[in-house]
Amino acid sequence: MAKLKKPFNILASIRLAVFIILAMAVIAAVGTITEARYDAEVAQKLVYQSVYMYTVMGLLIITLIAVMVDRWPWKQHHAGFVLAHVGIITLLFGAWLTQRYGVDGSVAFETGQERNSVTVKDREILVYSTLDGNNFSKMYQGPEDFIRHPPSEKFPYIIHLGDEDIRIVQFENFAFKESEVSASDAEQDGPAIRFQLENPNVNLTQWIRRDARRDSMDVDLGPAKVVLATELPAPSGRNEVVLVEKPKSDDLDYVIYNKDNSVRKKGHVRQSETVETGWMGMKFRLLRYMQHAKEKVTFTPSPTASPISTPAIRFTFHGEEFWLGLDTVMRYFQKDGMYLISYGHKRLQLPFALKLHQFKVGMYEGTDRAASYESLVEAPGRGLVTISMNEPLKYQGFTFYQSSFEKDEKGEPVASILSVNRDPGRWVKYLGSMLIVFGSIVLFYFKRVQWAKALRGKS
Amino acid sequence: MKLLLTLLLFAGFCAHADVGEPLETLPIQDAGRIKPFDTFARESLQLIYGKKTYGERSATATIFTWLLLPDQWINAPIVELRHSGLKEALKITSQERYFSPQSLFTNERVPLVIQELTSLRERQEKLNPYFQAVQRLENQLALFQAIRSGIVLRFVPDPNSDRWKSVAELDGDLREAFIRVSKGFVDSVGSGGSEPQPSDEFRAAVADFISKARAQAPDKYADMNKISWEEHLNRFHPFKWAWIIYLSGIFFFFLGFNVKQKWAVPLGWAFLLGGFGLHAYGMGLRIYLAGRPPVSNMYETVVWVPWCCVLLGLILERIQKTKLLLMCAATVAIFCLILTDLAPTVLDSSIQPLEPVLRSTFWLSTHVLIITLSYAAFFLAFALGDVVLFYYLKDEHRFQHQIAIGVNSIYRAIQVGIVLLAFGIILGGIWADYSWGRFWGWDPKETWALISLLCYVAVLHGRLVGWVKNFQLAAAAVIGFSLVVMSWYGVNFVLGAGLHTYGFGAGGIEYVIGFVVIHFLYVAYVSTVRYGRVKSQTSR
Repeated sequence: MAKLKKPFNILASIRLAVFIILAMAVIAAVGTITEARYDAEVAQKLVYQSVYMYTVMGLLIITLIAVMVDRWPWKQHHAGFVLAHVGIITLLFGAWLTQRYGVDGSVAFETGQERNSVTVKDREILVYSTLDGNNFSKMYQGPEDFIRHPPSEKFPYIIHLGDEDIRIVQFENFAFKESEVSASDAEQDGPAIRFQLENPNVNLTQWIRRDARRDSMDVDLGPAKVVLATELPAPSGRNEVVLVEKPKSDDLDYVIYNKDNSVRKKGHVRQSETVETGWMGMKFRLLRYMQHAKEKVTFTPSPTASPISTPAIRFTFHGEEFWLGLDTVMRYFQKDGMYLISYGHKRLQLPFALKLHQFKVGMYEGTDRAASYESLVEAPGRGLVTISMNEPLKYQGFTFYQSSFEKDEKGEPVASILSVNRDPGRWVKYLGSMLIVFGSIVLFYFKRVQWAKALRGKS
Repeated sequence: MKLLLTLLLFAGFCAHADVGEPLETLPIQDAGRIKPFDTFARESLQLIYGKKTYGERSATATIFTWLLLPDQWINAPIVELRHSGLKEALKITSQERYFSPQSLFTNERVPLVIQELTSLRERQEKLNPYFQAVQRLENQLALFQAIRSGIVLRFVPDPNSDRWKSVAELDGDLREAFIRVSKGFVDSVGSGGSEPQPSDEFRAAVADFISKARAQAPDKYADMNKISWEEHLNRFHPFKWAWIIYLSGIFFFFLGFNVKQKWAVPLGWAFLLGGFGLHAYGMGLRIYLAGRPPVSNMYETVVWVPWCCVLLGLILERIQKTKLLLMCAATVAIFCLILTDLAPTVLDSSIQPLEPVLRSTFWLSTHVLIITLSYAAFFLAFALGDVVLFYYLKDEHRFQHQIAIGVNSIYRAIQVGIVLLAFGIILGGIWADYSWGRFWGWDPKETWALISLLCYVAVLHGRLVGWVKNFQLAAAAVIGFSLVVMSWYGVNFVLGAGLHTYGFGAGGIEYVIGFVVIHFLYVAYVSTVRYGRVKSQTSR
């Protein structure tokens, strides 16, 4: 027993507690600086959820328990001290419950869409394979923790797929996407064009690449829309240049539509030929035409976070090198089948589906400043419910909060984003919080009584 | 002597009527709310010219003449441009501070720097001070254009739209009425000589215009009561008087206690309470006008925290029986209130619409009020710490008694601060849980509040084991406050990260760092001096 006494005394000492408290403060400060330098997720992974933080918190709990045991048997004036310290332990226990068993994710949907899954913060890599394009079998599913353990050429992250490995050799948390279109020999690749729209005020150059599985692909450039299609589509009420492919031919048919859906012009166009559109002296110039084209996506790393940067990985597969951005899927064709390689946030199935009926942004009078966001959703058995800022929806153990929305180029809201949450630790945390506040009030009150006694003793 | 002082104070209140005075209470729709033209004019002049008056002339009269005489003003030096890097980029060699809008409109480098800013904005990058200056210049030029063309002067409600009609869009009767207002103004300016007064015709024309504008959409029109209260708040500026009166209070307390003039003590009380009342009056007006607790931006907290500080000082004075508390609290109030007048660009006093997430008066008033109340307690401890350290520097034996009282008060203030901060952080967690779905997310604002809490808790635990004695406690109160400054100001203005983005701002960093560094040096200096003394005593 006597042997045990000494280490116990150290744990129960207030001196150690002071160091632990200060260590937590220092780690937290490092975390905020990390967040300002990079972003919240990096700070979470590298600081707040690091071994250091967990060690310090573990020590804190041990010390808290030790110091309470040390003061046993408790007297009346210990009430505040015990309550506050038990409160801290309870709060941390509640936080652990949330971390371990809680769900924290988000749902994004456009008006009219239905969703039955939640995207959570964790990222994962998924590989499927298929022989016929209809039946997929899952080859690999694994969590990604590249912020903490980035792969490198020397220490790649390897996914075994039987015949060939996927070797992830680079991870960039902040990267900008670049893509390059080039001619391809493969019959399954769709066509691509590069064109220029030019008049004295406008000069736009752009690629359009049509995926072989789609019939048409378009790009809207403001003054006009350009479409690349296999068959002539109906006009869409815009100034439109439509290019129609012909099998095994170097030239394209073109049709120019007016805003009123009338046909302005028709004809053929070849690579490096120019067509006068007749709108404000605008010329359409076909710079390139490839009957089969492939798009190569690369990413260039950025030193810091930016709202348009995205995490990306680089890997090799069958001797070829690929970049894959977060939340994208890549198809890899082989002679006898296809692989689907997906890198993205994990999804969690909900036992029900929610449907977004309407999304509204309220503005401050006479301005473009948002005053409120509101989503009108339909929940099975509950009918239509409104979710707004500060007014969440509680449904089947989950809570749905209005968190933000997505805008299109014109600034009109197109999709609503709800955050979804299930928190089994909530009431434990609340209880802990109550104990802390109540305990510290009692603690300081007794201090005052003790002082008053001491003062009376002196006089 | 006393009488003279009071008379001097009153002379300021009764300033003569300005020629633009009838226009001051003309309602205008701007930045998402309806305000008196006076407020609009002051805010616009502040942005463009950097001051709330143009020489002797009021903002209202000045801004109104921009509309009437645009061609003269375009050549007047009214655009404030201070950033030397920006001047260099614009190839301006002059040391002047003010430039005419025309010279900037014709400066061919202006579109280039604005283009750079636009591309930076598209990439959504943080703006450094240079680009903040570019942004201000862009706003200055745009606002000047908008005023002189009349498109921002939205005086008339539109029954079919939320957006009011500007003077550029008026027609028929209203147009005529507005022309009469302009004519009345011009005639008044012309007739009065060196000190023009508004004529009766001018007043009548404004009243007529208001009633015609109201008739367009009576339910959308301004509450004239609010408008005139706001104009009163602008003109009276109670916070300035509050600090002047606080200062007199300190002066009389000083006379009473340090120069032993008994008669001065009640006067000290009277002035202190008077300042406190005036301070409360100003805040009350703001709460009434904005319709929310006074803690939604940096300016409001810098006004609110010192008020809480004085309140806490008054309460703790009842317990600790020391005027030192009151004098420190009043000093904090004076410091903060002067600051709001000195740094109007950093501490923007305009009443702005709230971000959607903050539009919950209940949570705003509980969570934020309590957090700021804890800042006030730590601010008070900080001021007391400064004074106690000063006593140590002078002679710790002679001022033994004062030091003991001071340290006791510091301890008390820190205790109050800890309880309030813990409570405030927890309420913030509950609010975040309620509206975002998470109790704690390591957001920088909440993290820095936690860091401050942890450090103050460490100080109190250190005191339990005898590491933190009286001297160290005073030093800790001073040093610890830099953590509060970090969570109060630093997170929004230096780190600029996290979810509490609605409070983001810019500017003043060098002064705040200076403030913190000076106090670190002060503590270091007093510690060194004291250490030397203790050492020489023990060696003797």
